[in-house]
Order: sequence, then structure tokens, then C-alpha cells
Amino acid sequence: MSKWFLFLIPLVLTSAMAAPVELKINLRIGDQPLQFGQTYQTPQGQRYQINMVKFYISEVALVRPDGREVVVDGLVLADFKRDAPTQGVSVMRMEVPPGEYRGIRFNVGVPRELNHLDATTQQMPLGINSGMFWAWNPGYIFYRLEGTALLPDGNQGWVIHMGTDSFRLPVRIHDLQTRRVRIHIPPSGGTITLNLDLAAAFQPGPGGAFLDWSRPELRQLHGLSPQTRLIMSVVYFNMSNAFSLAQ
Amino acid sequence: MLMHLLTLTVVMAALIGAVLAATHHPAVPIPPDNPQTPAKIELGRKLFFDQRLSADLTISCASCHKPEFAFSDGGNAVSTGVGGRRGTRNTPTLTNVGFRQGLFWEGRSTRLELQAVGPLTARIEMDMQPEVLAQRLEAIPEYARAFREVFGEAPTLKTTTFALAAFQRTLLSYNSPFDRFQAGDDLAMSEAALRGMEVFFAESGDCFHCHVGSEFTDDVPRNNALYTVYQDLGLALATGLDEDVGKFKTPTLRNIELTAPYMHDGSIKTLREVVEHYNRGGEPNLNSDVLMRPLGLSEQQIDDLVEFLKSLTDRSFTTNPAFQPPR
Ligand code: HEC
Ligand code: HEC
Repeated sequence: MSKWFLFLIPLVLTSAMAAPVELKINLRIGDQPLQFGQTYQTPQGQRYQINMVKFYISEVALVRPDGREVVVDGLVLADFKRDAPTQGVSVMRMEVPPGEYRGIRFNVGVPRELNHLDATTQQMPLGINSGMFWAWNPGYIFYRLEGTALLPDGNQGWVIHMGTDSFRLPVRIHDLQTRRVRIHIPPSGGTITLNLDLAAAFQPGPGGAFLDWSRPELRQLHGLSPQTRLIMSVVYFNMSNAFSLAQ
Repeated sequence: MLMHLLTLTVVMAALIGAVLAATHHPAVPIPPDNPQTPAKIELGRKLFFDQRLSADLTISCASCHKPEFAFSDGGNAVSTGVGGRRGTRNTPTLTNVGFRQGLFWEGRSTRLELQAVGPLTARIEMDMQPEVLAQRLEAIPEYARAFREVFGEAPTLKTTTFALAAFQRTLLSYNSPFDRFQAGDDLAMSEAALRGMEVFFAESGDCFHCHVGSEFTDDVPRNNALYTVYQDLGLALATGLDEDVGKFKTPTLRNIELTAPYMHDGSIKTLREVVEHYNRGGEPNLNSDVLMRPLGLSEQQIDDLVEFLKSLTDRSFTTNPAFQPPR
């Protein structure tokens, strides 16, 4: 009984004094800041540009040194526009107890219970006006990456649209054991900045499978197509490791 | 003789059903959150024919859904969107589209309001972003005014799709020779078409099991044995299931004469070739519908079936001034 009581005191105290925290994102290509319209190269030597980056962040939690989580409510749409900054872009504001954390976790995607409601009745960041509703396959596009491939025989647009409940992307940036990840939130509040390395998407997967834009069917990656399933899972796993804490 | 009587009863039952449907065809379901008003329908019509709804100002809904071809793409197997980008699918008719329970060839989109997000934002169709669309419409005084009158707010992607849906729910076609015959005009259909109708609604042609009722569709995705190996996987693209490969929503056959070429990829050029496909039983594949089998129709029956399909053409639909671009 008394043990339980002691355990509760700090929780009550700290949650009473929440500190404002801003989540910011830097878009990267490798370790360089992304520039829309600049030409980059995949490991396989295909040249490309990025034109659009848009994704949902939901089910965010900060991880305490003892592994407990401070869950943050909210769903945001991170929307990087071509003529707007790509570095230090504020995507979410939250309130958490100040103190030491060993990491952050979140999902890229829309929670299942919100993903299948009638989109005509939902408000931003959901709903039709988000531009993320997937007209042909009910539910939202969780992340949307679009660009141009500069192929030897001309430029071709490509899109990666991932959605459906099976492609919700869990991102886990915490490390209780080695303590490499440390987030300190002072009582006055702070910022957590993440790097998102978009070039990670194009890394080869098992058996060397890669997103080869010279194949027309791979320029339109959508949901569950059996034709593109292998590459979708390669991109999916690549993307779940594409976020890191900016130092 | 008994067999004959049975067939006759089936035909009669089908006909009586169709008569009832033709004379009092059901009212289009209107979703409670998007009631029809004349102003909204008129706004939807303007938007439907307006190329300013596309990124490079060259494509409207009507670029692919052309009124004179019953809102299909007039002879093109697949359609071309902004920047000359070609899609991979045949543009379906919008005849009586307000009744469709599932939209797109997979039939997975549940309502017209949501469906329209597809073409408006797809790279290979109109390629618009929600903010760009809203700003562009707001900058056109006529639209800025009309959206406020109809929706009480500035234009958005959402209200654009609501107005488009309202217009599309008016696209009704019930004045084909077939409809007039159902309504009691004994001379509306040719002898050949009447014979073809019997084949269509009997086990010999077996078309009516999928092309059901007076809408000629069950709105269910099915595999009609078009290919042994499908390039476009159909419903499986959405579900990821092997058993869904090659399944496409049964299309309506109303105005079918005007919507060539046929099938999801526009691969069959004429109605006669379509009927020959069914007569062969199609191409063997694992997911082929159980109804697909060689039919053994005679050349005469094939011609009759084609005549019947042509009796589903409603010219008053394609010339209706209410469905033409506003002046
Ligand atoms: C570039 C050509 C093109 C344009 C532009 C276009 N469509 Fe389509 N439309 C298609 C094709 C192709 C399909 C079938 C796509 C599929 O099933 O994957 C389709 C399907 C549809 C359907 C579903 C019909 C059914 O029975 O399943 C509707 C409704 C529709 N379009 C309405 C519109 C509206 C409204 C617009 C304008 C906002 C529009 N379309 C613009 C080509 C086009
Ligand atoms: C097993 C269900 C089924 C049966 C039986 C069937 N159809 Fe179909 N029909 C379909 C489906 C599904 C499609 C679309 C297939 C595709 O695009 O891959 C289709 C397409 C068509 C088309 C082309 C429509 C368009 O808009 O492109 C015509 C015409 C047609 N059928 C006529 C017939 C006739 C005539 C019969 C009887 C001889 C028949 N069908 C029997 C399911 C069926």
C-alpha cells in the first residue's frame, strides 16, 4: 500500500506541471538538407528530384528512463511544401512533464479507429480537404512521397503512397540500454528535432530488390498491389529507420 | 417443352421486374449530408466541364467523361490526363452513376463525393492539390460567389466534390428502346433485339446473373475470364488477395453501344467481339467466375444479343441540354 502511494506522488506532481514541447523535423537526403528541385542519386545510380512530402503523425509518446511512456494526444499532418522551408519545420506541439526522457515513439499514419470513418464528415487534418484521402481504397494515405525520376530516355513522375492499416509505420527512437538517446525537457519547455532521411526509401532491400523507376509499374507505388508488394515492404522497412534524433 | 415453359417463365419474371423498374424506376439515393438543390447541381455542372480544375488548365472531368459518348471517352481504350499522361484504365460511363454502390473498377469507393477526390488529385488525371484548387476557384468571382451561395463558405476541395456529386446524381437515362418497350410500346424494339433479350435473360446467355435488373449490374467485382494472366490485377490491388486478381465491378450495360472500347482496359473493340468472348467461355484462370463457360450460342443468337445491347441506347441522354456544358 505505502509503496504504491510513493510511486504515485511524482506522477501526479509532474503531470500537474506540463512543459510545452515542439516537435520539429528536418528533411534530409543522407546527411544533407533536402532541397526541393535539386537532383539526387540513388545507390543504383538513378537520378531523382523530390516534389512532395506529406505524412500523418499520431500516437506519439515520450519514453521515460524506466521505460514508462508519457502518451501525447493528437494527430497532425506534416506537410512540406515546395516553396517552404525543409529544415526545423514545426509539425506538432505537445505538453509533457519536464524531465529526462530516453526517446520518442510515434506512428506515421492514421489510427485504425479514425481511418475508416466517412471522410466527408471528418475535419482537418483528416477529411477530403487534407488531400490525403484515398479515393479508390477507403482510408487515408499515411505518407505521400512524390518526385521525378530523371531517366536516360526522359523524365518520369513517381509516387509512393502508403496506406491501409497494414502499412502504418511505427517509428521507435529510444534506447533504454545504451542510453544513447537522451531528451531533456526543462520546466520552461523545449524542442525535439528529428531528421527524416528521405534517401533511405531508395536503399536496396533483401536480394538487392530496389525501387527501379525504369519499370513503369514501380513508378506508382500504392497500398497492397501484389505486383509491387516486395518493393513496398522494402520501402516500408527503410522508412521505419529513416527517422533519427537530430543532435 | 417443359424446358421451354421454364425458360419462358424466367423471361416473363425478368420482364415483369423490368417493366416495374422502367415505369417507376427508383429515385436516386441522396445522402442526407448533400441534399440536391438546383443551384448546387448547376455549380456541379459548371465544375464538371471546367478545365481550370486541372493543374495545367487543359483537363476537365468531361475531357474523359464526354456527354456524347454517355460520359465515357469516345473510342479511347485508356484516357489521357494533364501533361499527356496516360492512365491504364478505360473510362467508365456515368449513366445512372448515382445508383452505383461501389465506384471505380474495383468498386471500393463508397460515394461520389469521395470518388471525385481521385481524379482531381491524381497525377495522371487533373493533378490538383487541395490548396491550389481552393485558391484558384476563389480567384474566379463567379465561383467565389456560387460556392458561398450554395455552401455558405469559400470553395474547397470538399465542397467541389459535393457539387460534382450533386450534378452526377442527375445523370439519369431511362429512355432507351428497351425502356420504352418495358413501358408498353410494343414496337420500340426490333425483332432481333427482342430475341436477343430472351438470350440475355435466360440460362442460354446467362448475362443477367451479373448484369442484373434494369441497371444491368450487381455492383459486385467479378472475374469474367478476360485473361489467363492479368496485367491489371483489379480488386487485388486493393485487398492484396490472390483470389481477387482479375476481379472488376460488373459494369452497367446501359448506353453500351456508345462506350466502346470495352472492359477495364478497353481491350475489346466491338460488342460482337464481347459476345464472342462470352460464347467461348473466356480465358481459363483460377479466379474465373463459375458462370463463365462456353455457351454454344449460334451466330444468329450472337447477332441478336448484340442487337439487344444496342436497344439499351438512350439518345435523349446524350443530347439532354441539362447535361451539356453550361453556356
Ligand atoms: C484522365 C481521364 C479522367 C478524368 C479527367 C476524370 N475521369 Fe473519372 N474516370 C476515369 C477513369 C479511367 C475511371 C476508372 C478508374 C478506375 O476505376 O481505376 C474513372 C472513374 C470515374 C467514376 C466511377 C464510375 C464507376 O461506375 O465506377 C466516376 C463517378 C468519375 N470517374 C467521375 C469523374 C469526375 C467527377 C471527374 C472530374 C473531377 C473525373 N471523373 C475526371 C477517367 C477520368
Ligand atoms: C460472371 C459475371 C458476368 C457474366 C455472366 C457476364 N458478364 Fe459481362 N461483364 C462482367 C464483368 C465483371 C465485366 C467487366 C470485366 C473487365 O472489365 O475486366 C463485364 C463486361 C461486360 C461488357 C463491357 C462493359 C464495358 O463497359 O466495358 C459487356 C458489353 C458485357 N459484359 C456483356 C455481357 C453479356 C452480353 C453477357 C452474356 C453473354 C455477359 N456480359 C455476361 C461480368 C459478367
